[in-house]
Amino acid sequence: MRVAVVGKGGSGKTSVSGVLARSLARHGHHVIGLDCDTNPNLGLSLGVGDLETERLLSLRDQIDEGEQKHAHTWADILDAYGTDAPDGVRLTVVNRIDNPEPD
Amino acid sequence: MIRIAFAGKGGSGKSSVSGTFARLLARRDRPVLAVDSDPLPGMAYSLGIPVDDHPTPDDVVVEGPEGGPKWVLRPGLDAAGFIDQYAAAGPDDVRYLQFGNSWGHWSTLQRGQHAWSQVVREMDPNAWNVVGDLPGGTRQAMFGWAKYADVLALVVEPTAKSIQVARRLRNITKAEWSPEHVVVVANRIDHPDDVQRIHDALERPIIGAIPDDAAVTAADKRAAAPLDDGSGPFVDAVEQLVDTVESSYDAVS
Repeated sequence: MRVAVVGKGGSGKTSVSGVLARSLARHGHHVIGLDCDTNPNLGLSLGVGDLETERLLSLRDQIDEGEQKHAHTWADILDAYGTDAPDGVRLTVVNRIDNPEPD
Repeated sequence: MIRIAFAGKGGSGKSSVSGTFARLLARRDRPVLAVDSDPLPGMAYSLGIPVDDHPTPDDVVVEGPEGGPKWVLRPGLDAAGFIDQYAAAGPDDVRYLQFGNSWGHWSTLQRGQHAWSQVVREMDPNAWNVVGDLPGGTRQAMFGWAKYADVLALVVEPTAKSIQVARRLRNITKAEWSPEHVVVVANRIDHPDDVQRIHDALERPIIGAIPDDAAVTAADKRAAAPLDDGSGPFVDAVEQLVDTVESSYDAVS
């Protein structure tokens, strides 16, 4: 199944998505969490922590700097740009913020 | 003149704070223009204007010159005239300029949005105190949409997600265009440690701390303006915020 969660800012999209993803995983489903928000916070709801949530945003810069290879397939993308969240959910971020941490 | 724009995470309370702020400022005998650039506008509710859709007629613009903007205000119509004729009139004499909504046809929306942008860009900065409500998140806030503002107020709840969004906004102000002052308004505070935690995370002046107030949620449920529900902790705190902004950020024009 493929589920997209939408709604007004602050209505609880991210909290619902995070709990839904982990609950499905606990029921034995293979779950990928896709954060398509321009302000990606799904990592916080899934429980990977704020540092790891921000790290996912900086991966693009690592490509630009030559530290990270490009991914060519879906599996590669999940492998290179994803992170493991609790209950076996694999999280990846579709969007990113420009200059999340300048300086 | 006070020119302030409110930004922050979706649901952090930008519209409630900015709408209430605009009306309280207007009660101090200041001409106030409330500008809402959210494509899903919410500021009208907190202003107490009984519309959530205030589109401008298509004929306010004509096709722009080649190489310039696609649509420009029609000949003879300037920013002052536009505000006079098309900004909605609200309680306490606040005028309300809406960017547009997301359910019109794109071709119509684009005209209204070009008109909005031109008016905000070209209006006499000494004619109006401007209170802006920016869309949730970071996409619009820092990329030229709030150039009318001297003060950018980040509305932050004491939650990890809200603080995270405010940090990103703050960081973009280091790299991109930024208003002169970037400050923080702590909202929905229900614990003494909250304000300190927000301050530690953002390292910007906290110019207001607004307590969690069930009356605001109650007003939201009835589509009423918090200010029309009488006073309470929320309204009192926004009144204090107006005091602070008037004493510290009133640009000498």
